[in-house]
Amino acid sequence: MSVFRPRSNTIFRVVLVLLAGGAAATLGGLMGYARVPAGTGQQEEIQQPVLFDHRHHILDDGIDCRYCHQTVERTATAGIPSTAVCMNCHSQVWNRSPRLEPVRESYFTGQPIPWVRVHQLPDFVYFNHSIHVNKGVGCETCHGRVDQMPAIVQVQPLTMSWCLECHRNPAPNLRPREDITVMGWQPEGDPVALGNELMKRYDVHARTSCTTCHR
Amino acid sequence: MSSVKRIGLPVVGQDGPDDAPDCRGADGRRHWRSLEEWSEGAAAAKAEFPRGAAFLPEALTRRGFLQMLGASAALAGVAACRPPRQEIHAYVRHPEQALFPGNPVPYATALARHGHAVGLLVTTVDGRPIKVEGNPDHPESLGASGRLEQATILDLYDPRRIEGFTARKQPKAYRTLLRELATVAATHEKDGGARLRFLTGATGSPLLLDLRRRISERFPRARFHAYESLTEEATADGARLAFGRALDTRLHLDGARIVLALDADFLSDGPSALRLAREFAAHRTPGPDMSRLYVAEAHLSTTGAAADHRFRMKPSEVLGFARQVAAALASSQGLGDLARIAGDAKPTREASAVAEDLARHRGASLVIAGPRQPAAVHAIAHAMNAALGNAGKTVDYAAPPTEEPAGPRQLAALAKDLAAGAVETLVITAWNPVYTAPADVDLEALLTKVPDVLYLAYRPDETSARATWVIGESHPFETWGDARAHDGTVSIVQPLVQPLLESISEVELLAAFLGEAEKGAYQLVQDFWRARSGAGAAFAARWGTWLAKGVVEGTAAKGEAPTVRFADVAGAAGQPPPKAEGLEASFVVDKLDDGRFAENAWLLELPDPITTISWDNAAMVSPRTAQELGVETGTRVELRLRGRKVDAPVFVAPGHADGVVTLPLGWGREAAGPTATNVGFDAGALRGSQAAWIEPGLALAPFGKRKHKLVQTQEHFSMEGRDLALSFDARAWEEEGPKRLEHLRGAVNAMYSPFGYDKQAFKWGMGIDLAKCTGCNGCVVACQAENNIAVVGKAQVARSREMHWLRVDRYFSGPPENPEVVSQPLMCVHCEAAPCEYVCPVNATVHSDEGLNEMVYNRCVGTRYCSNNCPYKVRRFNFLEYQKGKAPLEKLRMNPDVTVRYRGVMEKCTYCVQRIERARIAVRASGQNKIPDGELQTACQQACPSQAIVFGNLADPESRVSKMHQDERRYDLLHFLGTRPRTAYLVRIRNPNPALSA
Amino acid sequence: MSVDTKRHAAVVNRVDPLEPVPVLVGRPDDRELNQTLFAPVWAKTRKGWLVLFALALALTGLLFTAIGYTFAVGIGAWGNNIPVAWAYGIVNFVWWIGIGHAGTLISAILLLFQQKWRTSINRFAEAMTLFAVIQALLFPLIHLGRPWFAFWLFPYPSTLGVWPNFKSPLLWDVFAVSTYFTASLLFWYVGLLPDLAALRDSSKSHAKRVVYGIFSLGWRGSARHWRHYRIAYLLLAGLCTPLVLSVHTIVSFDFAVSQLPGWHTTIFPPYFVAGAIFSGFAMVLTLIIPARKAFGFEHVITEKHLENMAKVLLATGLMVAYGYLSEHFIAWYSGNKYEQFVFWNRANGPYAPVYLLMLFCNVLVPQIFWSGRARRSIWVLWIASILVNVGMWCERFVIIVTSLHRDFLPSSWAIFKPTVVDWSILIGTIGFFGLLFLLFLRFVPSVSASEVKELRRELEHEAAPPHPVERAAR
Repeated sequence: MSVFRPRSNTIFRVVLVLLAGGAAATLGGLMGYARVPAGTGQQEEIQQPVLFDHRHHILDDGIDCRYCHQTVERTATAGIPSTAVCMNCHSQVWNRSPRLEPVRESYFTGQPIPWVRVHQLPDFVYFNHSIHVNKGVGCETCHGRVDQMPAIVQVQPLTMSWCLECHRNPAPNLRPREDITVMGWQPEGDPVALGNELMKRYDVHARTSCTTCHR
Repeated sequence: MSSVKRIGLPVVGQDGPDDAPDCRGADGRRHWRSLEEWSEGAAAAKAEFPRGAAFLPEALTRRGFLQMLGASAALAGVAACRPPRQEIHAYVRHPEQALFPGNPVPYATALARHGHAVGLLVTTVDGRPIKVEGNPDHPESLGASGRLEQATILDLYDPRRIEGFTARKQPKAYRTLLRELATVAATHEKDGGARLRFLTGATGSPLLLDLRRRISERFPRARFHAYESLTEEATADGARLAFGRALDTRLHLDGARIVLALDADFLSDGPSALRLAREFAAHRTPGPDMSRLYVAEAHLSTTGAAADHRFRMKPSEVLGFARQVAAALASSQGLGDLARIAGDAKPTREASAVAEDLARHRGASLVIAGPRQPAAVHAIAHAMNAALGNAGKTVDYAAPPTEEPAGPRQLAALAKDLAAGAVETLVITAWNPVYTAPADVDLEALLTKVPDVLYLAYRPDETSARATWVIGESHPFETWGDARAHDGTVSIVQPLVQPLLESISEVELLAAFLGEAEKGAYQLVQDFWRARSGAGAAFAARWGTWLAKGVVEGTAAKGEAPTVRFADVAGAAGQPPPKAEGLEASFVVDKLDDGRFAENAWLLELPDPITTISWDNAAMVSPRTAQELGVETGTRVELRLRGRKVDAPVFVAPGHADGVVTLPLGWGREAAGPTATNVGFDAGALRGSQAAWIEPGLALAPFGKRKHKLVQTQEHFSMEGRDLALSFDARAWEEEGPKRLEHLRGAVNAMYSPFGYDKQAFKWGMGIDLAKCTGCNGCVVACQAENNIAVVGKAQVARSREMHWLRVDRYFSGPPENPEVVSQPLMCVHCEAAPCEYVCPVNATVHSDEGLNEMVYNRCVGTRYCSNNCPYKVRRFNFLEYQKGKAPLEKLRMNPDVTVRYRGVMEKCTYCVQRIERARIAVRASGQNKIPDGELQTACQQACPSQAIVFGNLADPESRVSKMHQDERRYDLLHFLGTRPRTAYLVRIRNPNPALSA
Repeated sequence: MSVDTKRHAAVVNRVDPLEPVPVLVGRPDDRELNQTLFAPVWAKTRKGWLVLFALALALTGLLFTAIGYTFAVGIGAWGNNIPVAWAYGIVNFVWWIGIGHAGTLISAILLLFQQKWRTSINRFAEAMTLFAVIQALLFPLIHLGRPWFAFWLFPYPSTLGVWPNFKSPLLWDVFAVSTYFTASLLFWYVGLLPDLAALRDSSKSHAKRVVYGIFSLGWRGSARHWRHYRIAYLLLAGLCTPLVLSVHTIVSFDFAVSQLPGWHTTIFPPYFVAGAIFSGFAMVLTLIIPARKAFGFEHVITEKHLENMAKVLLATGLMVAYGYLSEHFIAWYSGNKYEQFVFWNRANGPYAPVYLLMLFCNVLVPQIFWSGRARRSIWVLWIASILVNVGMWCERFVIIVTSLHRDFLPSSWAIFKPTVVDWSILIGTIGFFGLLFLLFLRFVPSVSASEVKELRRELEHEAAPPHPVERAAR
């Protein structure tokens, strides 16, 4: 007499399916994870030492990005404003506010404010703000609607394939230099035509050589 | 200034914020004093950026502005608490650019060695000096820099540096030290400093000399003794002999067509080596004004390798040879003055040929005597140059900064006083005299007789072990001062960074004996020059330009051509050379200088230009002598000279003279760090003070079965009849040279039609002129510094795993006893059809549209297939984690623009792509699309003294590199493979004398 | 066994004149075959087996220690350097892959050609193949500088937006070898089914029934089962046949496609395949000779089998020799001094001893099989087979290391010295291979009972009318 009942067949098949499916699911899951915000660090609220509200400074005060991020057009880094820049205004306004205590402390002790980094690239990636800005890539393109952010979050995946999308075909992401810092910018007229026109005007190349970013 | 505060960058010399933290504690410097605190600063920075500071070395940097703030937290502290804040001027570029994070800024300064300065531009990024370049405006650099200048930056970040001060075993704070120095000084006042002595190195610094003068005024009976183990006493004596007074000899090769070097390695040794290499190389291309070089020497030096005719002889025979040449000049060339000097010497065929050549180019020839040769040889050289009418043209003379040359004589005088116990306080600013002193001066014992030995030390060493006061010395890049080049040109030495560890400079130490140390070096040097320039109100502006240019205009000493006293020269020349029994010991300088670079890992690993030995020195003998003595390469031998003895490994050197043993100095340190202790052997232990360079009577006895392992980066010297490093005789070249290159250049058949590189605005390429390359290896160190290349150590080099991206291949041809040498710098040649690329399974090495063969470290999985398929074997693999275990201090040196490679990753020359990208982004961001030729240089090109390496844009037909690619001497390495390399080579041309080559 | 020997005696007096050495001695019936062929599985564990197993286990331990160390410190643990960036790692890889060729060849190709003599050795050979390929598969992984990124060699949609380089032979390897492994595994397993079922039915303990039951996938030996089984087996055979040729062809591309003198040659694919079969058969002999003695399979694995394999050795050995010859000839004929130097250097350079050993083992030794006595002498066969394996390892060493250590620029020439880790990994894989093989011998019938039974029936039909003894057995 056999040790197996008829249902063992079913069990056996189920087990087979589970094994196969499980393997597939694991791989698929990993690939998925690398793409969803949880994996890329998008949409992640970060606690900053000072409750700095971009929304307020841009909308209510109408301050241009470059007032604080001074070196964005000239160097690799956009430039985090030094405490002194904050104090340009806040020595006059809100100069008693307890919320700004860390700023004043930093200013008078000479110790920096420990901001937390939001947009972080691996060490082997050499990103340069100046060239992007000068070739007509707007702040918004990578950093999103900062004017609607109480606290800065990373809105783009910052994966290599995301970078490559634009590096392979820059035209759709270009805008006139004068609108670089405009939030919610929309091209008038035919966006494709404008894109191509800007490609010419700023002599933009599609740079996909590895050393463009990795050195 | 406000800008500084705004961005908070650690720019040295900028006034600190007015609201700077006040530093409590006796010393006003606690803020940045300890490395711990320093790294606390870094740690704080790390806390701010999770994957920040202490991760990969490069992660300490280029992390954008936030990190800047972090780092400046540490550095702002630094800035706050030094004696009065100083001002610094960025070189050429707009100063505010200096304040941009991550942007490199070059500052002009100078580096003095043995009293001779070379002007430098040191690149700093975010307040950290990371790269040394030559200063184009400096007469002795002309933009070039040698291996020692390049390697100096590594010492700056050496964790073994002495921090702080100890007096009589007690740690002292800065101000306490100054106070106690003042008291020590005061005790000597009553007897006029009769029991006070100073042991210094050679110096030309006007400020230091002035301080010495003023100290001598305060302590009339105190004495200064200058000692250098690499002494130039003979050179000075030679001048005295010939001219009756001390004079510096200054060579000018640009006018010289025929050069006779008498045991002079002027291309890689001496105060003007960089300039002379440039001038020499300028006339090595075929044509009417091509120069011809004769070299008489014992061991094959880089100069000898560059010679058209090399006469192999014992150092002691050089005098005889010089007299023969003089004789020939006198007899057949009618230079009667030389007759007496020549005496009874009978000119050989060589001597007559040389003489004839020299005489045919009166006023355009040059005879050079090496510092190792006795005074007589120098005197004869002066006499010949005078007689040939070269004086004032290819050579002139100027008064030296100090009358009496630094050397054993002055040391002997001091030793007498020490032995007599007549010294109470001895201040040592010379480098490690206990190690460098001649074997017959037992300084070690003598120092015990001195109650107070003050030693200004950079690292713990043989001397600091015997000093009662050990005073941390600042690195030349950390302090203010001035320095004098060999031609008299003065440069202001300006710091690139505040002292990383608490320390003071020689200037500050001497000032302490005048009670002026409180002023600080900056004040001292500025006061001195304000007084000296007599500019008054205009001084500030002038000072500014001096700093910016890196030279003080109008300080070059006036050249003169005094008359030679032929009688005296004849007298000296007449004396027969000492009778040589046994072997002849010949001491030479190599890459470690007098030993002060013995702890520099870059230089230790750097292969010797001729023997390619790494991590060792060896007693070099000729093949024949080796045979006679029954020794071979690696045999361990005991060397005995006048009862002194030392054990050394033998190296059988091609081109070496028979009966001579060449002994490189500066090795075999006993009290150095782990990297240098007992590496190599200490040839200095055989040296007496009478004969510093050459001494007969050496005995050599092999012992032991086991051989010493000498590791070489190149083990095979023959070209195996392949067309690799090509050289032609000028005559042969004129006749059919270019034809012989046809199969080595031009188009090759390819299965696929090549990529359209010509559509690109940039088409990067390189040209290397073998006729100019002297094989000095300066480029190798420059590359190592620029590209964060790891040092792997002797064991790994022995497994042939060295990481140098750029290597200088060296091939011998002809008879081994006196071979012809060709040096061939070789790095990735960036093949347009690169074999490495199609075999990489993960696309980690690919081609850029501008023709760069790109190596993507972060994609590499390390199959090493690319290296197998690279016909040039220029790829380097991280077999182990070579960058591991760096001290925080060391990490600061890393170039932030270059990724530090992890183990298991392939790497290779990138044509300095980080520089290319930086330049391109700069121009393209500003709207143009053109980089002016010469503006963008690779590290090797920038360092090269002879300008053998040229990099640039092949798309620009006017660029120098394009012209080189068009040159009729151009050929491609392994052209038949069809790899279409972007690096082209230009064949070397020799210019032998027909009279001799026949 | 007693029955068997009687029967043996019985047949001796009716030797087939056309086939003096039979592929099956006697005409044992199904029960006896089961008895003898399953004996190793059902019998108690033997002391000899335990000793060997312990040894193999120790060597396997050594292997994984060495691999662990390599992962910890990096490839620097090996003797590799620049220029010799590939050494033992790839030598072993190619060697094992080569060995892994006999199995599929015997099972698939000989099956298609309906060679009777394959029957009782095919499973043996397939198992050997499988285990050899497992050894080989270790190396592509462990010889990487950064093995944790090995998955980059597979084409999957990554967030990097870059694909592997399909031009690279190494990538072709990944596909070739993994395909080969999968196919061989299936082929071997499908072949096992009837016997697993037989084991299930003849096993005493419940546990064993369950285990063998699960693995026999409910085989009941019905006509339908047999029909499907036949089709599947033939299909797989058809599938494997091209693989036998493709795998080593592609492995040889790793070298042939590069431009290195000594690698860059068109003779490689055929000569690698020949060499592979050569070494594969050698390995089968090395293993099967002691095994058949130990388990008393002399009547199913007869001298006939051994002799045929010896012939194959001789044939493939000659092909390999021809490969060497043409390599040298072409190098000389090319007139390219770089090519010529490489082959001069093989015979005169620092690695000349390895080269000479290679020539001795691969060219001289097989010549002995021209003599029938040598072909039938167990000892000669066994020693020769071992020498051939040594020789083939040397061949790979000569091709890889000797070509690399002195290539185009004399300035970069250097010597390769293996380290302890190198040796440990080589010896370790041999141990690991042995370990798997011992397990195979212990728990799976190493000779396919079902196929031998078929064979017997075939033989009977040829030898009609059926022998009275046979009828009695029915």
